[in-house]
Amino acid sequence: MSQTDTAETTANRTDSQGVSTTAGETVQETRPEWTNYEADGETKLAVDDLDVHYGDDHALKGVSMDIPEESVTALIGPSGCGKSTFLRCLNRMNDRIRAASVDGTVELDGEDIYQDGVDLVELRKRVGMVFQSPNPFPKSIRENVSYGPRKHGDIETGLLAKLTGRAEPDREDALVERSLERAALWEEVSDRLDDNALGLSGGQQQRLCIARCLAVDPEVILMDEPASALDPIATSKIEDLIEDLAQDYTVVVVTHSMQQAARVSDQTAVFLTGGELVEYDDTEKIFENPESQRVEDYISGKFG
Amino acid sequence: MSRATQTALVRDDRTAYEAAAGLAVGLSGVAFAVGLAALLDVVSIDDPVAGVELPVAFGAVLLALGASVVAFGAVSRLDYVDTGPQPSAGLVAAAAFTAIWFAVGAAVSGALGLGTVGRFGVGAALAGVGFATTAFPREDVGSTVPAGVVAALCGLALLSGVVGPGWERPLAGYNATLFGDTVVPVVVLFASLVTGWSGAKAYGGFGARGRNVGAYVLIYLVVGSILAVLVGLVAFVTAKGLPGLFNGFGLGGASLLRWPFLTNGAGLLADIAGVFPALMGTIWLVVGAVLFAVPTGVGAAVFLSEYAEQGRFTGAVEVATNGLWSTPSIVFGLFGAAFLIPRFGNQKSLIAGMLTLGFMLLPLVLITSREAILAVPDEYRDASAALGVSKWQTIRSVVLPAAIPGVTTGVILGVGRIAGETAPILLTMGGGVLPAKSAAPNVMTGFRLSTSPPFVSNPALLEATSALPYQLYALITAGLSGNIQNPQEYAWGLALTLLLVVLVFYAVGIATRYYFRRKLHQ
Repeated sequence: MSQTDTAETTANRTDSQGVSTTAGETVQETRPEWTNYEADGETKLAVDDLDVHYGDDHALKGVSMDIPEESVTALIGPSGCGKSTFLRCLNRMNDRIRAASVDGTVELDGEDIYQDGVDLVELRKRVGMVFQSPNPFPKSIRENVSYGPRKHGDIETGLLAKLTGRAEPDREDALVERSLERAALWEEVSDRLDDNALGLSGGQQQRLCIARCLAVDPEVILMDEPASALDPIATSKIEDLIEDLAQDYTVVVVTHSMQQAARVSDQTAVFLTGGELVEYDDTEKIFENPESQRVEDYISGKFG
Repeated sequence: MSRATQTALVRDDRTAYEAAAGLAVGLSGVAFAVGLAALLDVVSIDDPVAGVELPVAFGAVLLALGASVVAFGAVSRLDYVDTGPQPSAGLVAAAAFTAIWFAVGAAVSGALGLGTVGRFGVGAALAGVGFATTAFPREDVGSTVPAGVVAALCGLALLSGVVGPGWERPLAGYNATLFGDTVVPVVVLFASLVTGWSGAKAYGGFGARGRNVGAYVLIYLVVGSILAVLVGLVAFVTAKGLPGLFNGFGLGGASLLRWPFLTNGAGLLADIAGVFPALMGTIWLVVGAVLFAVPTGVGAAVFLSEYAEQGRFTGAVEVATNGLWSTPSIVFGLFGAAFLIPRFGNQKSLIAGMLTLGFMLLPLVLITSREAILAVPDEYRDASAALGVSKWQTIRSVVLPAAIPGVTTGVILGVGRIAGETAPILLTMGGGVLPAKSAAPNVMTGFRLSTSPPFVSNPALLEATSALPYQLYALITAGLSGNIQNPQEYAWGLALTLLLVVLVFYAVGIATRYYFRRKLHQ
């Protein structure tokens, strides 16, 4: 059962691999139903036939999925299944890895982000990212939050700005307060904004990283296992925050924890070993009645 | 032995034994410290201590220590106390005592007047004995008896006056003589090190714990002696240099502070000769070299670690920089003399010296900056890129600030080297050996603007200038003294000034590093 699933998915979605005659005939008939899945809401990110190679390693095989706006999309699967690779394709962070090559298209509001001449700075301002381990800069909390806008020239600080009268301390303060409040951290740090961010606890550091990401006002927020380095209380705060953020932002979150995916996400994509997308559907459907036997095995803990 | 005693976590019948062994270790430490002081001439070997001559007192202490160490072994071997020795003292200890006993045999037979063959024969025989007594018996005998006997022999030699203050021995084949005031402290240091180690093993009850304590004592004594030598070196220069440095020093009066040694030149008009021109020369030299080497070195490090593809090219650059850093300074000096001097007015000049030392400093700044930049976590770069911040801005506002402490460390190390460098200055900067105050470089006020290229000129940079190490070298080798009343005192004062200048540059560097570390981490 699971074997046929694999063959069909692969054959159907990967041009480069060619379609064998025996499998080819069954494609039309038993194409999995979830491939017709359309999530509620406008499509924010449309991924079509995405392949990633790291050198000889085929890390992601022909993934296609539409990610709707203002919702939480969870990516789950065992280690090495390509879910983080997929996430890093969505804001072209894979460009930073020399050996990685990406084929296929990812459309942000209908515009392919892999076409020639895409401004990575603009792309990453619109598609922000939060990493697995909290990585605040060794600077003050205030500097961490306002880092993005300052570097983009949206807020002017520093001696020259002061001398020329263009400094906007009030706007900076307002932005810092707004971002920290949105990341549910303001109450805890409002009285020590000039302390070094490395003095915060792990959970606070991660919310600071989220605030830093929110400060550049992105449309999409990618989160790569944002709670995996945190204790249960900090984790639950992050999860509440994710649900809350989905009202205004498109959130894509990679997680190891199926409970977390079930709790926070609206739709879930399951990646299994080998870099294929095995199933993508409403979270409820995935966890209660998955189409694929492999997904059911994975979710019930028999595999992966 | 029953199982219960073998696994006892606390051995409670050993208090007296441990106390005695502890005392022996302490006494060894004291003997070691006094021996070191005697070697550094802090304590005179000829002075009597409480009516007894120092070498005799040393002899008695070493004899007692040797005997007690042997006794510790015997008491443990005969099971009067409960210790945990291993079957053998081990190969390393055996090898060490083989060497020690060979030396003892050769020295004793040499003193008895045997020829080369005889000395070698006796040495080899005793080496065999040393190896056998260390390696074959149980650990408590193997690590005490050979050690104790050596120490006791050393003690006997001192006590009997065979080796004493008046002792001397011309070294055959060398135009040199060994004197008692060097040999006595060396014998004491060596013997007390051996008894300290052995006593510490007994204190720990042999076995794993004993080896641990023994290693501690050895390491502490050796490290302590190294530190003592370093402190002794600085203290020596300070003691010799202070009279010269503070010659004519005074507070109050007509001028608030009078420090002629630092503010005068060495010309005929100076009532007290000073080092002002050379001091200013050295300061400007270091400042110029740092101003040249830090921006270029850090820039190259940024390119090599952030932009260049890691591969053959960066590997070749790395090998080349390491090679440059270990290039002898005289070679840099020759380069400066042959390449820079013709380009700066064809005479030795301050700027030629600055650039030569800058070239010397460059590889170290490059190497340490590169290490520091590579040590900045990639997470910072990822986080910054994910916020849509460009690479250069990331380097400027995240990577470089995080790397500053490491870069500063490199500059501190380099300044220490270039500030004391003599050979390149000799070839590129020259200057008078005993310059008058008017010969001091006036870099700050020397800038002149002009309407024709190069628009800015600074005659001070183009003049031959003296520097502290150069002046010191010239004073010692040429034996010049000019109108200096006390050349010895002057030269030592000069050396101390150089030491202080380097220390001040260190202090500035360390304060900078501390400031940036604090800023990064709290």
